Amino acid sequence: MAKLVTAVIKPFKLEDVKGALSALGIAGLTVSEVQGYGRQKGHTEVYRGAEYQVDFVPKVRVEVVVDDLDAAKVVDALVAAARTGKIGDGKVWVTSVDEVIRVRTGERGLDAL
Amino acid sequence: MPSDRHNGSLNGPAGSSDPAGRQAPDARAPFGPSGPPPRAQLSDALDRWLAGLLPPVAGVALVAVGSLGRREVVAHSDVDLVLLHTGHPRISEIAESVWYPVWDSPVGLDHAVRTVDEAVAVARSDVKAALGLLDARYVAGDRALADELAAAVRAAWRASPAGWLGELRELTEARWRTAGELAFLLEPDLKEARGGIRDAVTLRALAYAQLVDAPRGSVRDAYRLLLDTRDALHRTSDRALDRLLLAEQDAVAAALNYSDADALLHDVADASRTIAYATDTAWRQVDGLLSKRRRWPIRRRSTVNRRPLADGVVEQNGEVVLARGVDPALDPVLPVRFAAAAAVADIPPGRSSLERLAVAAPPLPDVWPESALQSLVALLGAGEPAISVWEACDRHGLVEKWLPEWGRVRSLPQRNALHRYTVDRHLVAAAVAAAPLARRVARPDLLLIGALLHDIGKGLPGDHSEVGAGIAGRIAVRLGLSADDTDGIVRLVRYHLLLADTATRRDLDDPATLEVVAEAVRHDGVLLDVLHALTESDAAATGPAAWSGWKAGLVSDLVRRVHVLLGQGSPPTPRPRPAEVFAAAAALPGPGECAVTVHGDEVAVIGGVGVEHLISRTAGICALHRLDVYAADVGTFDGHPVVVVRAAPRFGRLPDPALLTADLRRAVAGNYDVSTALSRREAEAREGPAPAPPQISWLPDASTDATVLELRAGDRRGLLHDVTAALEESGASIRGARISTFGSAVVDAFYLIGGGLERDEIGKAVLAAAAT
Repeated sequence: MAKLVTAVIKPFKLEDVKGALSALGIAGLTVSEVQGYGRQKGHTEVYRGAEYQVDFVPKVRVEVVVDDLDAAKVVDALVAAARTGKIGDGKVWVTSVDEVIRVRTGERGLDAL
Repeated sequence: MPSDRHNGSLNGPAGSSDPAGRQAPDARAPFGPSGPPPRAQLSDALDRWLAGLLPPVAGVALVAVGSLGRREVVAHSDVDLVLLHTGHPRISEIAESVWYPVWDSPVGLDHAVRTVDEAVAVARSDVKAALGLLDARYVAGDRALADELAAAVRAAWRASPAGWLGELRELTEARWRTAGELAFLLEPDLKEARGGIRDAVTLRALAYAQLVDAPRGSVRDAYRLLLDTRDALHRTSDRALDRLLLAEQDAVAAALNYSDADALLHDVADASRTIAYATDTAWRQVDGLLSKRRRWPIRRRSTVNRRPLADGVVEQNGEVVLARGVDPALDPVLPVRFAAAAAVADIPPGRSSLERLAVAAPPLPDVWPESALQSLVALLGAGEPAISVWEACDRHGLVEKWLPEWGRVRSLPQRNALHRYTVDRHLVAAAVAAAPLARRVARPDLLLIGALLHDIGKGLPGDHSEVGAGIAGRIAVRLGLSADDTDGIVRLVRYHLLLADTATRRDLDDPATLEVVAEAVRHDGVLLDVLHALTESDAAATGPAAWSGWKAGLVSDLVRRVHVLLGQGSPPTPRPRPAEVFAAAAALPGPGECAVTVHGDEVAVIGGVGVEHLISRTAGICALHRLDVYAADVGTFDGHPVVVVRAAPRFGRLPDPALLTADLRRAVAGNYDVSTALSRREAEAREGPAPAPPQISWLPDASTDATVLELRAGDRRGLLHDVTAALEESGASIRGARISTFGSAVVDAFYLIGGGLERDEIGKAVLAAAAT
């Protein structure tokens, strides 16, 4: 069946990730603007006497549903494209998908990808 | 559909294939080579068809209301019908014989069955129903009954306008809030938006009540264009769609023989502006008329209340007008000062004054005087009220006299999914969105002018930021900005997309990314803050999709990092003393006295050694003489405190220097209670929307031993006196100061010395003084 690959990455890495995935023949992906924190945590900044609480770090969330067989390749490409080697590069995780349906045609399963 | 038993086709002359009128005319007929069938023809065909449906019974009439009543039916219009009767026992049966065939046809139906009295009662209680019934028109049956209804409804409408005007206005304003302004939207609702079809119908209703003249000439032409466009939209989209969506614009433009959609939108915007302006004028006439009527029993002549707002500008009966005896031909700055006064006070500018200014005011010189620039900044900084004032000025050709470049962006559509507005409205909206951010920057004037000009390059070939930067630079020179500030404006326009682009697409951990931004703002932290505020204002004026907390977070992070790279910078330093001050200092005053020199708009006061409160007293006396201090510098010369202010007279000429000098001497000697005299003046203070609250910050100044307090606040009469008095009372010693006014905002830096300054206490006192 299919896998859902979800990645939370640095915003400026989106173009690279898009390029890497389309090189693998991935036709579509979903992108959303998200905020959160991981090991970076929130931090406090002081500028011109005023304190700014930076609770969440802006990230981009990329979601793509792929054939089971392609999942490992996609994850590798994604990780390689999103990496800067610094803190806050993000996470990628893979979940199993029970069913996929293309809304327009009603096709199901791998045909709907 | 042709298969429908009640349906026919309206290709060719209306109803010609069916003179008996047994079939519903097809209101959806596509455009033939000669365009759509005329609306009156379509209405007549509907009339004939409907007349054929009504059985010949005495005491019953079929009446068309709404658009069919006006014979302005467009494709896919519903028909509004009233079946009038005098109490016929079988009226339900008669009604069904009319309604069922209509229900079975593709024509939408809005229907009612009433006696004349019932219909009039509905019109009295429901403004919307009344608006439709005002257009009641006989279709079939008992003509006398139909005429009775039309006469009764119009008589009731005329008899008591007070009964419905309030509700009509509320409905209208609610509709405008929901649908926005037709002229400035990229996907406008032709019917409901401000300046749309419904406003033209409302104008007619006001004319029925004999409150205003019936719309004619340009308003009628404008109305016809909107109806044509809506008709074409209904036909090309094949549905009752009133929003001129981007996807439909090309087809509608082609159907109306326009070269392209932009040309169509340009004309539609122009038409809606005509209607919106006529609507505003009509409502103002109505207000004036009603207030006069109310006063009538008390006094025969209406009172005229005048309140001065600026030099040569007064408020009179709810409008901003030129003061009596003012000759616009002598004062090129008057139009922009007039506009600023109207926007700041949030009072509509009077039409006849705008007309006089448009005809008589001489052009501004090639380089504007500072007072004109200050007025422009005040106008833009007024926030929301600036939009309608700007629009009124533009309608009278004043804006193009200030900015000849404006003509090119007026009503200029933009094909961009993020944008809601035409370029001109987007620019004004960006300035309005920038106004509340004025306290965040040290140069609100650059922010407001940058916002007004940031997209001025749109509509020309090439990258609009680059093209616009060149145009904005030339405009900045004309506005009288310094070379440094002109360069700032050029950079703001050139890089107005840089922060958003960089923050979302570049690695903020990479020093090269930050260096690019630092370079763009010439390593100037003040300009960086202005660019940050401009980025936000631009996004706010673009549309809901252009900005989010997510993007704001990224941009703020970028700006913060660039600030770290730039370092804190140094606060603004007091300007060097002008030569005149030192000339006057040849005769230095004795203890407890002061020497005054008045040179043009510059007043220099030198106190004797040990003189206290020199700053607040000088500021207070200036305020009492109705001088608006727009720049001030404070320092010492040979142990003597020195205050140099530059001030503009609020009304007319500078005061007599001898009088000013005498008052200043009395005040410094302690023989004139400035604070009390000023608070007495508060009563006549200018009213208007409250400005954003004041803000203070403490800036480190590495170069001297002083602590710098920066105040950003909305300007008002006596502000400088109140703030400096608060500082003096709190025990802080003001070694120097730099007061700058940008339209209706001030940015003041006070260099404070003295051991053990209580920053919290001083800050609180200053904020309280600035807020009152």
